[in-house]
Amino acid sequence: MAEERITDIGPPHYGQFLPPLIKENYGKWKYHEILEPGVLKHVSETGAELYSVRIASPRLVTTLFARDLCDLADKYCGGYLRFTSRHNAEFLVSDKAQLEPLKAELAKMGLPKGGTGHCVTSIVHTQGWVHCHTPAIDASGIVKSVMDDLFEYFGSHQLPAQVRIALACCLNMCGAVHCSDIAICGVHRTPPKVLHDRLRHVCEIPTTIAACPTGAIRPHPDKSLRSVIVNEERCMYCGNCYTMCPAMPCFDTEKGGVAILVGGKVSNSKHPPMFSRLAVPWIPNNPPRWPEVVGTIRRILTKYAEGANKWERIGEWIGRIGWEKFFEICDIPFTYQHIDDYKFQAYDTYRTSMHFKF
Amino acid sequence: MHKTPMLDHLESGPWPSFVKDLKRMAAQKSEVNDLLGQLERSYREKITHWKHGGIVGVLGYGSGIIGRYSDLPEEFPGLEHFHTMRINHPSAWFYSTQALRELCDIWDKHGSGVLNLHGSTGDIIFLGCRTEALEPCFADLTAKGWDIGGSGSAMRSPSCCVGPARCEWACYDTLEACYQVTQEFQFDLHRPSYPYKFKYKFSGCPNDCVAAVARADLSVIGVWKDDIRIDQSAVEAYAAGEIKPRGGGAHVDKLDIQADVVDLCPTHCMSWDGRKLTIDNKNCNHCMHCINLMPQALRPGTETGATILLGSHAPILEGAQMSWVIVPFMEMEPPFDEVKDLGYRITEWWAEHGKNRERVGELIMRLGMRAFLEAVELPPVPQSVIFPRSNPFFFWKQSDFDAEAKGRKYYTKEGFDVD
Amino acid sequence: MALPKDELVERIYKMVEAAQGKKQLKAKDIEKAVLKEYPDQPRNDIKFAIKELIDSGRCVYTYFGGSYIELPHEEGAAKKF
Repeated sequence: MAEERITDIGPPHYGQFLPPLIKENYGKWKYHEILEPGVLKHVSETGAELYSVRIASPRLVTTLFARDLCDLADKYCGGYLRFTSRHNAEFLVSDKAQLEPLKAELAKMGLPKGGTGHCVTSIVHTQGWVHCHTPAIDASGIVKSVMDDLFEYFGSHQLPAQVRIALACCLNMCGAVHCSDIAICGVHRTPPKVLHDRLRHVCEIPTTIAACPTGAIRPHPDKSLRSVIVNEERCMYCGNCYTMCPAMPCFDTEKGGVAILVGGKVSNSKHPPMFSRLAVPWIPNNPPRWPEVVGTIRRILTKYAEGANKWERIGEWIGRIGWEKFFEICDIPFTYQHIDDYKFQAYDTYRTSMHFKF
Repeated sequence: MHKTPMLDHLESGPWPSFVKDLKRMAAQKSEVNDLLGQLERSYREKITHWKHGGIVGVLGYGSGIIGRYSDLPEEFPGLEHFHTMRINHPSAWFYSTQALRELCDIWDKHGSGVLNLHGSTGDIIFLGCRTEALEPCFADLTAKGWDIGGSGSAMRSPSCCVGPARCEWACYDTLEACYQVTQEFQFDLHRPSYPYKFKYKFSGCPNDCVAAVARADLSVIGVWKDDIRIDQSAVEAYAAGEIKPRGGGAHVDKLDIQADVVDLCPTHCMSWDGRKLTIDNKNCNHCMHCINLMPQALRPGTETGATILLGSHAPILEGAQMSWVIVPFMEMEPPFDEVKDLGYRITEWWAEHGKNRERVGELIMRLGMRAFLEAVELPPVPQSVIFPRSNPFFFWKQSDFDAEAKGRKYYTKEGFDVD
Repeated sequence: MALPKDELVERIYKMVEAAQGKKQLKAKDIEKAVLKEYPDQPRNDIKFAIKELIDSGRCVYTYFGGSYIELPHEEGAAKKF
């Protein structure tokens, strides 16, 4: 116990990881250009120029992959690199002469550059079946399938604005996908099955009851069971009880699936940040390539690219044409599930004007 | 090697394949082979095979390690324990290759070699550590200057955008603010004592590249108070098509200043006479649209700082919230005492009143904005609402009458004069 | 009356021991319980008393949808079932 342990040192200071050119021009950047998809040029007030080459990463990687990136950064970037908030990797090139050789080597290694400007950049996502205990769907496999299909949009600037896609493998939304242009969300659709014999050994009943956001869990009337019952009509399949109490699994292999929400954003550009709204309540969970999910996303993206004005994000496009037109154009049926009836936000979504279209 | 016919489908296609990468690792580490085997089984059965642990950790900490166990340990013995370790990332995810290689060496030595760069909150995520390897791995990490990040009912690892390191729009030093706040809250980051998670995120401008408004309880977003800086000759160059809009990242090569910029300004505070762009800066709401389209002509002003917004979280439990403005403008200079202090006042009030698993945004909805503002000693400001209430059900406290009797402008808590 | 620091550590340990298997205590529950008994106990004492219990391994943090302080016990999920 008494050995000297180092604790609470926090992360290393970023200063030691900045390339010299960035250190010299820290806070002095004047403007930037995107020379081609995936290649940024930042110009400092001092006249210094930094080139950044952004590449796709699967996010779920190994140390072998990380070491490959290190080798490239050593060879072309003086030993520095960074990652973006959307899981892309960036090579920071201080010497312009290294730019073309780096690009050539990236192409040879099959590491695609892109993720800049009016593109579909990497999908922010969660763990899925590779590591999570409550997922309705896989994460990395769907991301790979969708990005393979939308690959032409990663390395180009052909969309009316940037499109941010995010994936959460259940509705706890570790991926916080709720403000994305397109959100892929895993959904369970069955209430938990209470394993009474196991519950009394592994779960604390008051905590389990408190976990339910809709108050659907009550103590079992038979006190000797020391268990709980679920009012299934009130359950919205969030899996929160299961997170608290592993004796309440709520997974059904066939009923679980994918919901698609669209139109969210976080930037303040033109319109304020927006929530993503439900477009498709359920698509079958179909590994290994999820063709129904991929097809739905492509259809929405294509209709958006055709219909949006310059600079319009998906949410701004739908806001202009109206949701009734969105459902019509994308050929998506409107269902009871689309009408919000959850808590205090619901009323704000009901139309109280004559401003709608047929 | 386990047979993985379904996963093999994910080796083809132009997007980098995680299956290919994992297979490379599986040739060296049997637990990664088991990981692929179990994942294949999940693909076949459409169900997860992980159990959630709640106890494992490193001595002294209640954060940063998430217990993970396979429910098929006989079939996949390498996954019997497969815990997550969150490693607190450096500000804006900058690395030297030396540091990243050291992390790889440590992870190859103690764990599966599988990781996320990075997790949703920002940490480096190591996936797959046995219980007995946690302490030695932690010792090697701290020896090289790394520490574990947050999890559970704790301060989570703060994160920030690239900021002044490589962006001309950064209105404050997001990297240093993130670093200093992370250091300040080390105790609360490693020793969970809050009702639920608490996240800080630092974005340098209203483009909000780390999604602070959606993903942080306390969102710090850079802003300027003075005039947008204009280079009129560059505006003319944009108008003439000599400079491409949006840095060259758009689907059009020539900007129509009137249609693309002026007409889309949300406050209609701009005009263009064909030669000169005029901005009525008093009416600008700093949305960034014009600056985004003309980065060589327009820049944020120089009287800069940050807006503090509070309360966002994913839909669990009460429905998603975005953070709302609580302090319209705060100066952001090292050592960032004001934003640290506000963090302490907020988390203390929330820890005192919050229920288990209740985020601070939800607590405010339950107890009311006034209770919150009074507790953390913030005045009511019109910037915090889109519009005032439309109902007549507002109430008065004795402190309001007292303040009124003293002739104060705002009716706020005693001893807290804001006129 | 505030408790001396070593007595406070033992008082908190007893609290956690008594709750074991009945109720999971959060750090804040412990603080509130101590302050109820000893209203003038500085909060910082309580914070560091908990730290001492955790650092010595006599208590551990657990996570089951929320973070709690408990006596060390075998992980439910680690058991085969």
